[in-house]
Amino acid sequence: MTLAPAGFASEPRIDAGFWTVIAAGLLVGIGTRYASGCTSGHGVCGLSRLSPRSLVATLSFMGAGFFIVYIVRHIV
Amino acid sequence: MNNTIHRISEFLVGLLFGLGLILSGMTDPGKVVGFLDLFGSWDPSLALVMGGAIAVGFFAFSLAKKRTMNFLGGLLRLPNSQVIDRRLVIGSLMFGAGWGIAGFCPGPALVSMASGQPKALLFVLAMLAGMVGYELLDRFIHAPRKAKLNPS
Repeated sequence: MTLAPAGFASEPRIDAGFWTVIAAGLLVGIGTRYASGCTSGHGVCGLSRLSPRSLVATLSFMGAGFFIVYIVRHIV
Repeated sequence: MNNTIHRISEFLVGLLFGLGLILSGMTDPGKVVGFLDLFGSWDPSLALVMGGAIAVGFFAFSLAKKRTMNFLGGLLRLPNSQVIDRRLVIGSLMFGAGWGIAGFCPGPALVSMASGQPKALLFVLAMLAGMVGYELLDRFIHAPRKAKLNPS
């Protein structure tokens, strides 16, 4: 476990290639509209309001995120 | 005049939100993917940032729930949907997949454009295309089908 230092406005590290970035952007755009929320909407605001709907959304996108990163970093 | 105050308050709130994302390091996809990488050298920052935000938000929303007007006299509306359906889960899974691939979610991606990195801009353009594409699909495919199912 490492709490990496944030550093003020450190340069964003984007590992994904250009085409992968486009695919990811499309998924995020479609997915957030389809589910009516993102990390801020469901994750922060929804959970602050104790909304069960937002809890389901947050568990779903976190689960998918953990899964994809596991595949990308440890399998492929 | 009242409208101007609303616009100024929106701007200030956005500024605060963006600043929070920068200060907490959440505009760096490297840190976000570090959080999502449970089996690597896990970086819990995102959970701490989110937990901190919820701790503040809980009290703010408890107050907001009791009001119908905001402090500037505008209508205060909170989401009231309780529906947990396929849209919510499938949409969130799609979003989570994209989030894991690039390390960007909508807010931080918008802020990251200011870094001038071409990939951040590319991500935002693709994200907007996805949002507009979804909107068009919903309007021309889903809406007419729904209208056919229950004609008013």
